Amino acid sequence: MISENLYNYYLSDLLAGKRSDCQKIVQELLDSGIEVKDLYSQLFQRSLYRVGELWENNRITVANEHLATSITESLLNLAYPAVFATERIGKKAVISCSANEFHQVGGKMVADILELNGWDGHFLGANTPPNDMAHFIQETRPDLVGLSLSILSNIDNLQRAIEVVRTDFPNMDLLIGGQAFRWGGFDIIKRYAGTEYIPTLDELEKGIKAG
Amino acid sequence: MAVELKIHSETYAYFEEKAPVLFFILSREGKIVNANRYAQDLTGRSLSGENFRDVIVDFTGKFDLTDAVRNPSTERLINIGSASGQPQSFYFTFKPVADGCILAFGRLDAAELETMRKEVLSLNQELNNLMRELHKKNAQLKRLNEEKNRFLGMAAHDLRKPIGLIITYSEFLIEETEGLLESEHINFLNTVNSSCTFMKRLVDDFLDVSAIEAGKFDLNLEPAAIDDVLESSLQLNNLQADKKGIHLHIQCDENIPHIIMDAPKIEQAITNLVSNAIEHTSLKSQVAVAISCSPHFITFSVMDQGPGIPSEDQDNLFKPFAKTSAKKTGGEKSTGLGMLITRKIIEAHRGQIWVDSRVGEGTTVYFKLPVNVEEK
Repeated sequence: MISENLYNYYLSDLLAGKRSDCQKIVQELLDSGIEVKDLYSQLFQRSLYRVGELWENNRITVANEHLATSITESLLNLAYPAVFATERIGKKAVISCSANEFHQVGGKMVADILELNGWDGHFLGANTPPNDMAHFIQETRPDLVGLSLSILSNIDNLQRAIEVVRTDFPNMDLLIGGQAFRWGGFDIIKRYAGTEYIPTLDELEKGIKAG
Repeated sequence: MAVELKIHSETYAYFEEKAPVLFFILSREGKIVNANRYAQDLTGRSLSGENFRDVIVDFTGKFDLTDAVRNPSTERLINIGSASGQPQSFYFTFKPVADGCILAFGRLDAAELETMRKEVLSLNQELNNLMRELHKKNAQLKRLNEEKNRFLGMAAHDLRKPIGLIITYSEFLIEETEGLLESEHINFLNTVNSSCTFMKRLVDDFLDVSAIEAGKFDLNLEPAAIDDVLESSLQLNNLQADKKGIHLHIQCDENIPHIIMDAPKIEQAITNLVSNAIEHTSLKSQVAVAISCSPHFITFSVMDQGPGIPSEDQDNLFKPFAKTSAKKTGGEKSTGLGMLITRKIIEAHRGQIWVDSRVGEGTTVYFKLPVNVEEK
């Protein structure tokens, strides 16, 4: 459990662009044996959601927001020795951001949580054209596909990506998540059969553990 | 400033000292009469008296100040050489002011900055994605390596027993058929025996290496006397030395304390090192073995009178299957794993091992062990 005090220190360092101070906090948490999932949800996800809110309310600039995101993304590297060390269970997932979606940290964290649970979590990156994604799915034959959306105004591109998956791979389990749905909007997803909205990393882990 | 401008003094002071824009007063010939603080900071110099043309980075050579002043409303994209050496782009306008002077006013190319920022972000994302892939591939390689070690260990373990049987039965045959077989057939049996003995050494070394690499190299630590360990080791090495007429010269300090060690493993290390020294030493010469003691360490050394190891080969000495140009004097076979295993044994005891060798003079291998080794 990350204390409120530590979270606030981290958040202020993150907003000030103090990469090495943030790195120190994260490394100390990892050295003290924090669960990677808790680190992701209680520190990385929570702080980035806050950064997103500050940006939406014009309290910080887009440059501040990008810097905080870049720092967070580089901090994920510290957790990778633990993320990829788990026993494999022979399942595969493809996680992608839709076209015109340039925020990729959330999707990457989802792929990492899958890895942490023994899955092979392929992450395709930001701004992936639907056809490229479909091609990769065709090649990889995953057990599930995850799509991440951080800004609701980009929902059209997400829907196009969902339609491509549904058309080409009608039986594929499809998970949707991301900051865009924090205040609603997930009703759109319910229109698509076999497509599920996953609100948190905890829910994701529960879901994959339940099979 | 020599040239007066018809602007409010506070506004002027702002442009002069604080504004993040370039602000020059040029003479009609294009010399800089004054440059504001931002321009000086950007270029890292005062600029006063320099030719404006020398401050800009004009690859095309087409910049025409007269034409620029004639069209004061036209913005021109001009690069300025910054103090860091990186040119930076500004949109400039040139306006005539009092006394025939020219006001050159440059604003940052915001579009260029935005493009660069996006590009940097995109590259950073790509870099982080590649880092993730790298970590993932490393983990996969580690798993494959563990799998390989497990397979190697299993194969070596299963080979050990039949090889041992061949050795035993070939020895029986050599002993019990004495005088019954022709010399050619005795040679066949001797070859079977020596080949299988080498094969068993190889299998034993593989098992050691696979245990080391799998992190299962456990030490059974107990207090023991290193001189006793040496004595036990030399019983094997003496036979080898006698065959080549090599004298083993032993020198041990007195009253060496017992230290905590895995005695059979240290014996294995000493046997390996002395055996190597004998193999590289010429017939009828000497190998010197010494053990000395200081308050914190026990140091072992073995010195041969072999050909020596070239300095470029010395770094590879402790790597698996490393070959050096130093030839064995009796044509002995080597598994190529002995020095690696020896190093691992010494390091597992928190000791150090090193080599001092000169071509044409011989080689000395040292290791030192701490007097107080704590169990890991």
